[in-house]
Amino acid sequence: MTTTAMDEPAAGSAAPANGLPRLLPLVPGVPEDLRAHLARYGRPPYRGGPGLLIHGAEAAGLTGRGGAAFPVYRKLAIVAGARGRKVIVANGAESEPASRKDALLLRVAPNLVLDGLQLAAEAIGASEARLYLHPGVSPEVLRALSQRAAAGIDWLGVTITEAPPRFLAGQESALVNRLGGGPALPTFVPPRVSERGLGGAPTLVQNVETLAHLALIARYGPRWFRALGTDTEPGSMLTTVHQANGTSQVIEVEIGTPLRTLLASQPQGAEAQALLIGGYHGAWLPMAQAAPLTLDNATLSQRGAAIGAGVIAALPADRCGLVEAARVARYLAVESAGQCGPCLNGLPRMAAGLAELARRGHRRQVRADLERWAGLVTGRGACNHPDGTVRFVASALTVFAPEIAVHARGHCSATNRRPFLLLPDGMPTTEDDWI
Amino acid sequence: MSGTTAFWYASRATGIVSLLLLTAVLVLGILVNRQGRLPGLPRFAVTSLHRNISLLAMAFIAVHVVTAVLDTYVNIPILAGVVPFASGYERVWLALGAVSFDIMLAMIITSLLRGRLNRTLWRAVHLLAYLSWPVAFAHSIGSSRDLQHGWLLDLGIACALIVAAAAIWRLAHAARQLPRAARVAAILARYSPPAGTKGPGQARERIAR
Repeated sequence: MTTTAMDEPAAGSAAPANGLPRLLPLVPGVPEDLRAHLARYGRPPYRGGPGLLIHGAEAAGLTGRGGAAFPVYRKLAIVAGARGRKVIVANGAESEPASRKDALLLRVAPNLVLDGLQLAAEAIGASEARLYLHPGVSPEVLRALSQRAAAGIDWLGVTITEAPPRFLAGQESALVNRLGGGPALPTFVPPRVSERGLGGAPTLVQNVETLAHLALIARYGPRWFRALGTDTEPGSMLTTVHQANGTSQVIEVEIGTPLRTLLASQPQGAEAQALLIGGYHGAWLPMAQAAPLTLDNATLSQRGAAIGAGVIAALPADRCGLVEAARVARYLAVESAGQCGPCLNGLPRMAAGLAELARRGHRRQVRADLERWAGLVTGRGACNHPDGTVRFVASALTVFAPEIAVHARGHCSATNRRPFLLLPDGMPTTEDDWI
Repeated sequence: MSGTTAFWYASRATGIVSLLLLTAVLVLGILVNRQGRLPGLPRFAVTSLHRNISLLAMAFIAVHVVTAVLDTYVNIPILAGVVPFASGYERVWLALGAVSFDIMLAMIITSLLRGRLNRTLWRAVHLLAYLSWPVAFAHSIGSSRDLQHGWLLDLGIACALIVAAAAIWRLAHAARQLPRAARVAAILARYSPPAGTKGPGQARERIAR
C-alpha cells in the first residue's frame, strides 16, 4: 500500500467528519460506547502488516500530544526498525495537575484510544500492549476493553497498570520503570526507551490523545488530518482551559487557534492579568502580550512559551501572581524525584526564594539569587523536571516583576487571597509513594 | 646533567606528581559522589575540579611513560605503557603501571562519551577507580627505589592514608544517608519555614544560613 492510497477513506468506515470535534463525542460530555463508536468511525482499519501506518503518520505531520510534541512517525520508525520483542504503551497517566484532557478522553472516547493503540501495535509489530493510567480512570476503559474483546476487535491483549499520583509518573523512563514493577522514577537517557525499554525490549510510549489522532489518520488519511491546524503543526488538539472566573473545561481546538477565542468562549467575569501556557512546566505571559497570539508552538516559542500538554490558565486580576507561582514552585520542588543533586537541592531553594518574594518586604537580593540558582539547575537533571521548573519560575519573575516591586514596598495588589491554580497535596515520604 | 639522566629524572618526577594528582582526583571523586563541597566552592565546582585534575593527571602520566621509554639507561618498549608484562625491566611493577593506566584510559573515554553511554556502564567503569589507584600506588612503591625510604616514602604513606580515610568516609556517609523518599522533605524543611510560622524574619534567617 502506498501513501497516496492511504489518503482514501478505508473501506467500511463511516464518512469522515469535517471540522470539530474529531476526538470528543458529538454530544458534548456523553461517553461513546463501542456501538456509538463503530457507528461514528467504523472498525479500526488494520493494514495487515507492520510499517504501513508510519508513512501515514509522517505525511500527516502528527506530533506527540503528551507535551514534548515529538514527531510520532520517528518514534514509530525507530521501534518498528528494531528486531525482537517490542512493547507498546498508551500513556494516560496525565500527571500535570492542571490538565484533565487525557482523563476526559479516556472516559468519553476510550475506544478511539484503544483503536490507536492496536493500530500502532500493528505498525511496529508489537507483541505486548500496555495501558498506563491513574486509578480513577480505569472503569470506563475496562468496560471498553471487555466489549471489544467480545466483538473481536483487538489484535493484541491489553494489560492495565496504574500510575502513582506523582508529577513525574508519566515521564517515559519513569513509566517504563513502573511497568517493570519498580517505582515510577526517571532514569538517565540514553538508552532511550524506544531503543531499550520494558524488560530491555524497544518500547513505544505514546500519549493517549496521540493514539486517538493516529486512529483517525489510519481511517481518513493524512490529507484529512491536515485540513485543520497549521502547515507545520497540523490537526486538532485537546486543551484544558482554566478561565479567570474559576471555571475550567476541556476543549478540542484547531492548532493555531487565537488564544483570545479560547478565553472568550466562556462567560465573562473577572478579566485575566496573565496566562499560564503549557502547564506547570510552562511559561507565564502577560495578558496583553498573550492575547494576540495563536495556539501553536511556532508562535508561542517566539515568546518563550510552548503548548506542552495543552494547559491554558488565565490568572484573574484580583490574585497575586507571585503567591500563585510560589505555590506551584513548592509543589514542583516536592515532586522532585530526589535523584539528581541540582534538582534535589536547587528546586526547594528556588521555591523558598519565590515564597519570600510572595511575602511583602522581601530582601533585595532574592530575585538575583533566584536567577543565579536557575542557571545552576538548568540542564543538569536526568529528566526535564529541573528545566521545566526553571522555565516556570523564570517566566514568573519576568511577568510579575511589577508585583515584585510592589511587594518590596510592603504592599500587595491582590484583593483575593483564595488559592487559584489547582494543586494536589501530599508529599512522598516513603519509596511506596512512587508505586 | 646529561641528556640521558634528564629523561630519567623527568620520568621519576612526573611519576611522583601523577601519584599526588591521582590521589586528589580520587578524593574529589568521592566528594562528587557524596555531593560534598569544598570550603568556598559551590557543588558544581567540585565536579569541574575532579574532571580537570583527572585530565591534568593523564597529561603527567603520558610524560611519565614517554620519558621512561626515551631514557636509554634501561630498555622499556613504548608498548609497556599500555600492555602489561611488555617490559623486561621491572616486569611485574611496570605491568601494574600499565594496568592502572589502561583503567584510567577507560574511565576517561567513558566519561567523555558519557552523554552517549548507558549510565550503568559508565558507573561500572568509573567504580574501577578504586582498583586503579591501589594498583598505581603499588607500581609507584614497587618500581621506584626513591619511594621506598625517606621523605618520599612518607609522602606515599600520606597519600595512602588520605585515600583510605576518604574511602571509609564514603562508606560511612552512604550508610547514614537519608532514604531517597525523605530527602526532598528534609531539604524543603531546611529552606522553607514550617507551616504556621509565617514570620518573614524567621524565614530570612533560615535562607541566610
